[in-house]
Amino acid sequence: MSNVPVITMNEVSKRFIIRKEKSLKERLVNFGRSRKHKEDFWALRDLTLDIEAGTTVGLIGANGSGKSTLLKVIGGIIQPTKGTVRRRGQLAALLELGAGFHPDLTGRENVFLNGAILGLSQKQIEGYFDSIVDFSEIRDFIDTQVKFYSSGMYVRLAFAIAIHVDPDVLLVDEVLAVGDEPFQKKCLDKIKEFQQEGRTIVLVTHDLTTVEEMCDRAIVLSHGQVIFDGGSVDGVAALRANFATQ
Amino acid sequence: MAAGAPDATLLGGFWGGVRDVITHRSLLDLLIRRELKARYKDSSLGFVWSFIRPLTMLLIYYVAIGQFLGAARNVPQYAIFVYSGLTIWGLYNEIVAGSTMSILANAGLIKKVYVPRELFPLASIGSALFNFGIQMIVLLGAILVTGQFPLSWNLLYALAAVVMVVTYGVALALLLSAFNVYLRDIQYLVEVALLIFFWASPIVYSWTQVQTVAKNHAWVADVYLLNPMSNAILAFQKGMWEAGSKINVLKGADGKNHAVPPVDWPAHLEFRLLVLFVIGLALVYVAQRVFARLQGNFAQEI
Repeated sequence: MSNVPVITMNEVSKRFIIRKEKSLKERLVNFGRSRKHKEDFWALRDLTLDIEAGTTVGLIGANGSGKSTLLKVIGGIIQPTKGTVRRRGQLAALLELGAGFHPDLTGRENVFLNGAILGLSQKQIEGYFDSIVDFSEIRDFIDTQVKFYSSGMYVRLAFAIAIHVDPDVLLVDEVLAVGDEPFQKKCLDKIKEFQQEGRTIVLVTHDLTTVEEMCDRAIVLSHGQVIFDGGSVDGVAALRANFATQ
Repeated sequence: MAAGAPDATLLGGFWGGVRDVITHRSLLDLLIRRELKARYKDSSLGFVWSFIRPLTMLLIYYVAIGQFLGAARNVPQYAIFVYSGLTIWGLYNEIVAGSTMSILANAGLIKKVYVPRELFPLASIGSALFNFGIQMIVLLGAILVTGQFPLSWNLLYALAAVVMVVTYGVALALLLSAFNVYLRDIQYLVEVALLIFFWASPIVYSWTQVQTVAKNHAWVADVYLLNPMSNAILAFQKGMWEAGSKINVLKGADGKNHAVPPVDWPAHLEFRLLVLFVIGLALVYVAQRVFARLQGNFAQEI
C-alpha cells in the first residue's frame, strides 16, 4: 500500500514570463523590441518525482525556490508549462485558509460555501457542521458576518472546515502557524492523526523543526530544482548547508 | 474527484468540462446564492432594489421617450412594449457585464483552490437568471393588470428568446471572463459595447419604426437583423406584447385617432431563431475550448 504513488510528476517545468510593460502605449512604443521587455523565469525545472501514499513529505528551500509553485502545480491550481502531473484520490489544498470566505456572509453560510469549494457535499457538511463549529470554538459568533471576525477566529473556522474535508492527499502551505498556542497544538495533533490514518501530506514550511519532527521525507528545492530528496533530518541538514554556502 | 485541470484535447475536453460543471452543481448553486445574498447584504430594502431599478427604467423610458418624444403615439401599449424589451435586454446585459468580471472578482479563490473555473461565469449567469425571474413577475403582473394576457402559441417565441439569450450569454461569458484576465480593457470595452447594442436593438423604439426609416434601403433592416439580440428581443416582444400583433387605434400628436397596423414581424422568425441558436451552440463550444486553454494561467495572471 505504501508504495503506491498518489502523485506522479514527470519532467515538470513551469515558466513565468515577466512582462515589464502593461499599457497599450508602452506596448506600441516598444513594438518589435518587446523581447527585451519580457523575462523568462523558470520557477520549476524538469522535476520528476513520485509521492507515495501514506508518506508525509516536507518541501523546503529558500524563499523563491519554487516550493509554493510546486505545491500549486500538484494541486492543479496552475498548469505546468511542460511535463505531466498525475494524481490519485481526493486532494485538498490548504494553501491559504479561508480563501473562499466571503466577508459579507455569516460564519454558518461560509462553512457551507467553503466546504463545497473544498469538495464536500451539502449532506456531508450538514453532518460535520457541529463538529466543525466545536473544533473552531467560535459557536457564539457562527451567525455573525465573517468580516467582523478577528483574524484568529477567521483561521480557526477555516482550519476547522479544511480538516473535515477528509482528503487522501492534503497539501499544506505555511498554515500551521495560526491561532494561539493551544489551537496550534490542536492543529498539529489533527495533522498527526491524519498521518496515523495513512493519509498523504505534502507540507511547505520554513519551520525546519516541524519538518524534522513530522516528515518521513524532505525534498529540498533550490532555484526550481531538487537538490536533495531523502530523509527529513538529512534534508534539513542539506538545506542548512546550502544556506551556509550562499 | 478531479483536482487537476481538465485535459486539453479537442473533443473529449468539451464534454470533460461539461461533466466537471455537472459534478460541481451543488457548488454552483451555492455560488449563485452567495452572489445573490452578498449583493444586497446590509441594505435594509434588500431585494426590493431588484424591483426598483427596472421600474425606474420603465418610468424613465415611458415618460421621456414614450410621452415627451412621442414614441407611444405610434406604439400601442408602450409600457408593456418597453418593459418586455428592457426585461430581456436586462438579462443579457447582466449576464455579459457580470460574467466579464467574474473571474477577477473571485481572484482570491482561483489562486488558492482548484475548482472548475467555468463555475464563476456560470454563477453570474445564474444570478442574472434569478433577477430576470423577478422582472418577469413584474412584467406578467403588468400584463395581467392591463388585461393583455398573450395566451397563444406566440408565448413559445418568448421562451425561444430566453433560450437564445442564455446560449449567447454562456458563450460570451466564457470568452469575456477569460480575456478580461489577460487584458483588463475588456471590461470597459464591454460597457461601451453594451450601451451601443442597447440602442441598436428594438427596445425603446419599435421594429416598425426601423422599417419605416429603412424603407428605401432594405439592406439596413437586413444588417439590423444580423444582430442575434435583435432577433431575440423581437421574438420576446412577439410573445409577451400582445398589442403588437393586432390593429390598434391610437391618439396621434394632433389629437386625432389613427389606426396602427400590427408589427410586421421579420419573415420566418422561427427559422432565423433556429439558425441563430445553432450558431450560438457552436459559439459555446468554441468559447469553452478557448476558456479551457486560457484558464491554465489564470492563477498567475490575476
